[in-house]
Amino acid sequence: MTTNTYLIKEGYDNLKKHGSKTLSTMLIICATMIVLGIFIILLQNVNKNVETVKNEQGFQAFIDDASTETEIEYIKDRIKLIAGIKGIKYIDKDMAFEDAKSVFKDQEYLLDGLQKVKPFPASFIITFNDINEASIIKAAVEKVDGITKVKYNETTIQAVITISKIANIFLLGLGSIMLIISMFIISNTIKLAVYSNKREIYIMKYIGATNTFIRKPFIVEGAIMGLLSALLSFVLISVTYVVVYARLPKVGTSLGIFGFMPYSQLWYQILGIFIIIGLFIGVVGSAISIRKYLKV
Amino acid sequence: MIEFINVSKKYNHDVAALEDINVKIEKGEFVFLVGPSGSGKSTFLKLMVKEDEVTTGTVIVNNTNINKLKEKDIPFLRRKIGFVFQDFRLLYDRTVAENIIFALRVVEASEKDIKFQVKAVLELVGLSGKENFYPNQLSGGEQQRISLARALATKPPIIIADEPTGNLDPKTANEIFKTLLDINARGTTILVVTHAKDIVDGLNKRVIALDHGKIVRDDARGGYLK
Repeated sequence: MTTNTYLIKEGYDNLKKHGSKTLSTMLIICATMIVLGIFIILLQNVNKNVETVKNEQGFQAFIDDASTETEIEYIKDRIKLIAGIKGIKYIDKDMAFEDAKSVFKDQEYLLDGLQKVKPFPASFIITFNDINEASIIKAAVEKVDGITKVKYNETTIQAVITISKIANIFLLGLGSIMLIISMFIISNTIKLAVYSNKREIYIMKYIGATNTFIRKPFIVEGAIMGLLSALLSFVLISVTYVVVYARLPKVGTSLGIFGFMPYSQLWYQILGIFIIIGLFIGVVGSAISIRKYLKV
Repeated sequence: MIEFINVSKKYNHDVAALEDINVKIEKGEFVFLVGPSGSGKSTFLKLMVKEDEVTTGTVIVNNTNINKLKEKDIPFLRRKIGFVFQDFRLLYDRTVAENIIFALRVVEASEKDIKFQVKAVLELVGLSGKENFYPNQLSGGEQQRISLARALATKPPIIIADEPTGNLDPKTANEIFKTLLDINARGTTILVVTHAKDIVDGLNKRVIALDHGKIVRDDARGGYLK
């Protein structure tokens, strides 16, 4: 057994020795981490949707029902000439009908009688490079012959961007507070652990132990506490997300409008953040509380 | 080995715990430090291990001027000095062997050394066969032997014993001193703070007497009172 493995073992033994205190500390830290986790998840979803909005959301320009295929090709070419357009996609009447069906997924029968009529007009989905040029481009598209109406929900997009900014700031603030609270809790627990080992520390100092040697087991204890709390919180939050996600209506996802991310795109971020935070509060929290006991 | 040059220590502005102490203890000596309570014995020990700082003067331990020692080097000074306390200061949730291993871990001894030293020091203090006992299962004298074994385990050139027999009966006290003499015979410098008059008188070793923070007597061979 090298000195380091011995010190890690000491830290682990301390943890067991302070069992119930360790457990309650971990549960409190889990609670704060879960709150933090929920906000991270919400934020990730908001950010992802904002990205979708920024990248994919464009105008929907509806085409006059009377237009022939050649005319539609002509309209398309005209729109392509407008400066600032990134892409243009034609949605024919069949596709429009399919989209509508997916919106009414559970009540498809409502559309049964309309199968032959296909009441939804064909359209172009037009994306653009810079959201700031949106209104200019919109005006240009409206002037093209054969376009009946252009739908563009500018205020929604701006609102989403603002919400995401606020959410980011809020998460940062909340995260910092949670971090400080957790660190305080861990440091208190370690303080008790250090206190109950005061005698040992005193003897160690007299025998000639370096501060690092005395510190290590407590740092290990704090790190294990932080890490276990992180893993426990991760398991709890993962199970909850997966269960809730399965029950969420999937309306909208296929249209590229708001939808929740599948957990496969989230778990590694949550796990990574939790582990980093757990280790950080464990190590820093215990380092703070040992300092004053090292003066002999 | 240990040298105090013009050492004074004041805790408050006017009261001197130690005043102008000049003393030199050579390698391999066995020295008693005696004096009434409050005479400055504890301060003397604290200055040696740098638990306290001198107000003026110089303390040299094992050829090192410890006034100049940086805080991070204090542990290495303390490794040169084995400490034995009146109240033993053992870890009661660990066995005899584990108490000694604890000291060896602190100085980061190798696995091989640990095995060897535990056996050797327990033999030296007469505790062979009691490795797996807990301190509370043993007598006061035996507990002090554990403390002695722990101090010896790291092979320090100096042993300081602060009232090592203060809590023990005379017969047990005699045995502890016999062990200390054994250790001294192997070349370890020993400084004992004690009130055990009979033992000091009987051993006829060097005696340094402190009173009111001053050395009032330093006899090459002397008794507790004279």
